[in-house]
Amino acid sequence: MKSEMTALPEILRNPAVIDGPISPGALDDQVLAHVYRKPQTVWFIAFVFSSLCMLLGFSMIGYTFYIGIGAWGNNIPVAWAFDIINFVFWVGIGHAGTLISAILLLFRARWRNAISRFAEAMTIFAVMCAGIFPLIHVGRPWLAFWLTPYPNQRGVWPNFRSPLMWDVFAVSTYFSVSLLFWYLGLVPDFASLRDRTVGKIRRAIYSLLSIGWRGSSSHWLHYEKAYVIIAGLATGLVLSVHSVVSFDFAVSLVPGWHMTIFPPYFVCGAIFAGFAMVVLVLVLTRSVMGLENLITRYHLDVMNRVILACSCLMGYAYVMEGFTAWYSMNESIHHTFRQYIFGSYWWTGWLTITCNVLIPQLLWSRRLRQKYSVMIFVAIGVTVGMWFERFVIIVSSLHQDYLPSAWHIYKPTIVDFGILLGSFGLFFTLVLLFARVLPVIATTEMKAVIPGAQPGHGGGAHA
Amino acid sequence: MHKPAFSILGLFDSAQALMDAIPIVKCGMPAATIETYTPYPIHGIEKVLGRRRSPIAGMVLVMGVIGALAGLGFELWTSGWDYPLTTFGKPPWSWQAFVPIMFEVTVLFACFTAGLGMLFLLNRLPMFRHPMLRSKSMPHITRDKFALAVEAEGQPVDVDAITAVLKGVGAISVEVIEQPAPSGPISPNFVLRAFGAIVVSCAVAAGLTYWAIKLFPVSAPMSHMLDQPRLDPQREEGFFKDDFGMRLPVAGTVARGYLPYTIKNQDDAASLTNPLPGTASVMQQGRQLFNTYCSPCHGLLGNGQPTLTAAYGAKPANLVSQTIRDYPDGKIYHTIMAGKNAMPGYPAELTQDERWAVVHYVRALQRSQNAKDLDIPKEIK
Repeated sequence: MKSEMTALPEILRNPAVIDGPISPGALDDQVLAHVYRKPQTVWFIAFVFSSLCMLLGFSMIGYTFYIGIGAWGNNIPVAWAFDIINFVFWVGIGHAGTLISAILLLFRARWRNAISRFAEAMTIFAVMCAGIFPLIHVGRPWLAFWLTPYPNQRGVWPNFRSPLMWDVFAVSTYFSVSLLFWYLGLVPDFASLRDRTVGKIRRAIYSLLSIGWRGSSSHWLHYEKAYVIIAGLATGLVLSVHSVVSFDFAVSLVPGWHMTIFPPYFVCGAIFAGFAMVVLVLVLTRSVMGLENLITRYHLDVMNRVILACSCLMGYAYVMEGFTAWYSMNESIHHTFRQYIFGSYWWTGWLTITCNVLIPQLLWSRRLRQKYSVMIFVAIGVTVGMWFERFVIIVSSLHQDYLPSAWHIYKPTIVDFGILLGSFGLFFTLVLLFARVLPVIATTEMKAVIPGAQPGHGGGAHA
Repeated sequence: MHKPAFSILGLFDSAQALMDAIPIVKCGMPAATIETYTPYPIHGIEKVLGRRRSPIAGMVLVMGVIGALAGLGFELWTSGWDYPLTTFGKPPWSWQAFVPIMFEVTVLFACFTAGLGMLFLLNRLPMFRHPMLRSKSMPHITRDKFALAVEAEGQPVDVDAITAVLKGVGAISVEVIEQPAPSGPISPNFVLRAFGAIVVSCAVAAGLTYWAIKLFPVSAPMSHMLDQPRLDPQREEGFFKDDFGMRLPVAGTVARGYLPYTIKNQDDAASLTNPLPGTASVMQQGRQLFNTYCSPCHGLLGNGQPTLTAAYGAKPANLVSQTIRDYPDGKIYHTIMAGKNAMPGYPAELTQDERWAVVHYVRALQRSQNAKDLDIPKEIK
């Protein structure tokens, strides 16, 4: 046993979940105090920049509402383009948050505690960004409420056999459950903030948000049980959501879409893109907000390993997809797969493979894996790659399907790019606001993993 | 010295100190109610305190099963029974296609039961007036201290003795939390304010609803679908040189399958007779056409009371009334052809034979809604 232990690298034998000694009080001082501090100049610059992008995006959306969908480049047969690419992209980004907060909780991975709050917040903001796109894609979003099954004078119900309807239920359930899970985690932290705050209005707000939490043993008894149950349910949910998103494609008969590998392939891609975004945001946040001792190199290292594993799985999925296409002996599917890498959009296919499969291979080296510049490079690469992967799946498949007479070269318009930029603006504006007004680290969960916090575990500290 | 208190609270420095103190305090005061307040959950403390297991798992299981049944049942009912839609060539009760939504509804029900059931039912939150929230120890508890409370909830207790016990087991400080005074009767001022708030909220909600239903859907860009350029048939649209949007038939010609109809008013039409026999197949055809074209306004029974009238303000005729029963067939035929009052004519939608089939069916409706003893067949009388 001992020899096995020594065979492990230092970082796994003695994972520094928290760097250096810290007491619960000092943790509160470090994490909660930033809520009262005036933010740094860099925060203001970032906020102004991202909210301007957001404003641009919303004005482009307003323009689309006024003019109609004709403002975009979409045209038959490419009826799905930037709108659905962005939807799948953003929903995917959200999945890392649920993975970190729910699945890793079930696996008792203690390192999740420091990053779960941030990752969950990113889930919620990403799903908000994602939700915009199907809404504006329907063309007349003020009638989108027709998707809800309510009794109406037409006597018709939504088509529950349609994957698009499954999507409505999956994404709205995912959003509401994520919001609930995030709020539950925040309640004890709101109580801490309530008891620290002096200002009358702020205190009233935190008081309201903490709904009178007082941390009694019976509170915690029910709380922990409920938290684990929701984590277990959210695990199934997060796997179902991107599977359902993939059904939007896989259930149809478009060549290149009609494949059984789609659900696991989409879920893996979602986690891959989401982890890249979490790494990107956390590398910047921890240095700007001075959280290096709580979000340690160990956290970044573990997340980079997850990215590397997902990257290899993505490579496998691409190869399997190609194999399935070849093995199908179907000329249309062969044609579509040739289009992916040699067609009109050949460079998007190669960009996808480069960014998603080749660049993350840098992370095999421990030296490179611990360099911030490499992490940021890989994370941006994966984000770009995963966006273009959806471009390949959607646009390259649609623009030349079964009917050669309908083939069409899709060109996005400036409005398409404006809305894409706007969604990034919205995401980062929300992330920045979150980092400003809420505890970015779940202090309650962190206190429970400080050494000596759990006498029942023989002085150890387990989540 | 006995006096009433809500609880007596001892603060401890570490989780270990708290865990060590609990059995001693319990041993010293077996009758006392003991509660702990901690900044984070301490595992195993519920066993030391002798708490029962949380019932939340059972609640979640029950609500999850209800969610699954509700989701699947609703899908089967709407898609298989209430309005069967045939899509993807699947049978109406294709349960396999309903699994994803059933799963999502299950998760939704179960998660919200776990989250909200835990907060609202089991932990009885929100509760802003709990005496603990006003104690001086609370800011320490949510930060880094651990409290053990002997709860009296207003009963007179020996404060000094309990304080001594808590000090004895290592409490760094002890606080006596007073029982709050019972809240007085509701003041008239409060009632007035609450009433005012309800009235204002109702007015705002009414205004918003009016805006959302009446004004919003007809404002730009929602109205753009109505404004799109199009050619209306037989209207002056300026498309051709003579300003018409469509060409008129060549003078002196008749389209194939089209008979010219020259009768101008109902009285002239009275002399027309129904050329079709009232056979079962003609009745079937008449019923189908009536249900398609006439029933939206005249109702399935022809009594002028359909489900859709209120929205349009027109008052459709009661076809089974005495006036219309007295009409000759020709007058009914003419009305279908030329329309009457708000009703448009249906010359393009129905052929001549189809119109007469509808007349037959209207007669059948009139008879069925005014049935006499004579109409009942002998064998079932």
